[in-house]
Amino acid sequence: MENLDAARLQMAFTLIFHIVFACVGMVMPFFMVVAHKKWLNTRNDIYLTLTKSWQKGVAIFFVTGAVSGTALSFELGLLWPEFMKHAGPIIGMPFSLEGAAFFVEAIALGFYLYGWNKIPEKFHWWTGVIVGISGVASGILVVSANGWMNAPSGFDYINGEFLNIDPIKALFNPAWFTQALHMTLAAFTATGFAVAGIHAYQIVKKRNVALHKKAFKIAITFGAIAAILQPISGDLSAKDIAERQPVKLAAMEAHFETSKGAPLYIGGIVNQETQEVTHKIAIPKALSFLAFGNLDAEVKGLNDFPKDEHPNVAIVHYAFQVMVGLGTLLLFAGVFFFITLSRKRTWFHSKKFWLLFTVLAPMGFIALEAGWIVTEVGRQPWIIHNIMKTKDVVTPVPGIVYSFYMYVILYSILTIAVTWLMSRQIKSLNNKTLVET
Amino acid sequence: MMYVVLFFLAFSLLLYVLLAGADFGAGIVELFSSKKNQAITKKTIYRVMGPVWEANHIWIIIMIVILWVAFPAYYNIIVIYLHIPLTLMLLGITLRGVAFVFRHYDAYKDKSQILYDWMFKISSLLTPVFLGITFGALISGKIIHTTTPIDYSFKILYIDSWLHTFSILTGFFFAALCAFLSAVLLIGEASYGDKKIYVKKATIATIVVVLFGFITILYGYISKIQFVIDFVSNLYAMTTILISAILLIPLWSSIRKGRRVLSRLFAGSQVLLILIAALTPHYPSILFTTDGGISILDNVAPDSVIKVLGISLLIGGFVILPGLFHLLKSFKMIKILERH
Repeated sequence: MENLDAARLQMAFTLIFHIVFACVGMVMPFFMVVAHKKWLNTRNDIYLTLTKSWQKGVAIFFVTGAVSGTALSFELGLLWPEFMKHAGPIIGMPFSLEGAAFFVEAIALGFYLYGWNKIPEKFHWWTGVIVGISGVASGILVVSANGWMNAPSGFDYINGEFLNIDPIKALFNPAWFTQALHMTLAAFTATGFAVAGIHAYQIVKKRNVALHKKAFKIAITFGAIAAILQPISGDLSAKDIAERQPVKLAAMEAHFETSKGAPLYIGGIVNQETQEVTHKIAIPKALSFLAFGNLDAEVKGLNDFPKDEHPNVAIVHYAFQVMVGLGTLLLFAGVFFFITLSRKRTWFHSKKFWLLFTVLAPMGFIALEAGWIVTEVGRQPWIIHNIMKTKDVVTPVPGIVYSFYMYVILYSILTIAVTWLMSRQIKSLNNKTLVET
Repeated sequence: MMYVVLFFLAFSLLLYVLLAGADFGAGIVELFSSKKNQAITKKTIYRVMGPVWEANHIWIIIMIVILWVAFPAYYNIIVIYLHIPLTLMLLGITLRGVAFVFRHYDAYKDKSQILYDWMFKISSLLTPVFLGITFGALISGKIIHTTTPIDYSFKILYIDSWLHTFSILTGFFFAALCAFLSAVLLIGEASYGDKKIYVKKATIATIVVVLFGFITILYGYISKIQFVIDFVSNLYAMTTILISAILLIPLWSSIRKGRRVLSRLFAGSQVLLILIAALTPHYPSILFTTDGGISILDNVAPDSVIKVLGISLLIGGFVILPGLFHLLKSFKMIKILERH
């Protein structure tokens, strides 16, 4: 395997792993403080048990997120030294602020986890809120740095040199808002449905139903609201990409020839050689409308761009289909949940209802990973859009493939370990409350 | 503003060595304890480190971010030529972090604890060793900084640069320093009966640190490592070392008497003095290649970047430091304000 491929695989692999842990660590504190608040208000012990078991989840995910994030902060330089040499100073602002936000999060988490019965109740609750807010702030800042790679700004690129650097302009690059909004909503959707799904499964299995129903409701409320809002953010992102990264949009839609009133393809199998998309559903003029708000707008096709600037069309197109498909599914599931609420909860007693949400548990994260594949693979061959190519900045150190294997083994073990720990948490939670009640 | 940035870089380094060092050291102390003491140590570590250990380790991220933002050319050399020890260090940080949390948050305390314990202890030893190796490699003058890496073999460029006696000695010196810091910290945290365990450990650790420090410098001098030769002949460095040697006496007596505040104060000042001694003789060159020292102030980021970074660090510092202080104080890791 070439160094470039190995480095890209390692980066992709570690990010795919880190994103899951970071998202859970960022969103779960919100569930935790809601449960905590309910306990403070009602003094119902179920909420206390729930808060304490969620806090263990937060602690485990926070640490795995933190150590994989530490690894990533090094990997950026270890794998792409030339990129960091030039980009580091420009995008240093979001990263240094992220460092600060992460620090605040770690301090607040220290107070929260160890503060039970030691610090005043109200202050203790607020430290939990700070954990959540600073977590989301970290996420937004890191995504802003990624946004800069898609929409480089805050410098002049003259004769291969980055001059007149303006770090603040780079932080608030044109892509930061749409990307950060999309990612934050995605994190809430994915974590909401995942956590709700796990509790739904416990209800299917009739274990400690009272507690799991309360847990389910808190988690799914966050997930459902985020899923329902997500299309608005998705539309903003699509319009943004249509304007700034037309190649990426063309790859997402497997749109080869420039045309007016372009159709939107749903599904389909891409043949990059013959530039054909078979087995698809075509909606006339929909692509032009979605990208530019005009049924007859011209949408540039891939053939308008040099071949060596095309990303891998098939991967980007499939990933995009998966993201939109699953996102839509979760949107319907979210609406469905709110309808059941108004139906006097009769469906709440049906096993099918809980089975449905159990099956949906991983869907948010699959959609989220697919979305990252769209934006990252879609940006290739560029590491900084239209400025710097990925192949030119890979490390000269040979044998990165072994480092890739090491990370695959390490993170696979970690994933198994964390899953196993979580299942033990749930098992102990079920046993504990059985004894108590 | 450059000085603000440099100050935060040095400050993060100091706090990382002190706080994360004590944290790594806890695992090392546990590794070198009898079975009975291991259980006591494990409990004490959890009580003391639990609330703060994650915050302790963020200093390295702050350092890395400052390096790449403000000193990109410098950072570039480190990540290319020291790729392997840094990756091994990351492996250690990862395994250690998860083992620490797993062993305390696993819902069932069964045989899996044995695995977590070993993971924790071994990685607690190896991570600082690799950190020390990285630092030793930086100053040993064995890095070949070249624009045509194709002319050299993999071993010469990416292994010989860091895998040699001097850097390994530096690695063990740093690990010993961590164990020393931790043992001193634990003196003040153990219950009355257990105190003497850590008094003994701290005494041994002090001897080991001084011994490793001496051997490292001696070896560096004999094998003509430029950094060490200049270090030994530098007036400031030697004065600092002399002060630290003199301060060993009150440190020693405060350890023997089990004085928690004083012993911590003296232990911390040892670290401060060692860092000052190591960094001053060649400042601003902290990196030595086969072609001599490379100044950290060469090819720095443009002023606009330094300015924004400096302001961010100041704001961040004002938010974080009081919070961190409050956290350390609330969970009694620092006891300066208490009277005994």
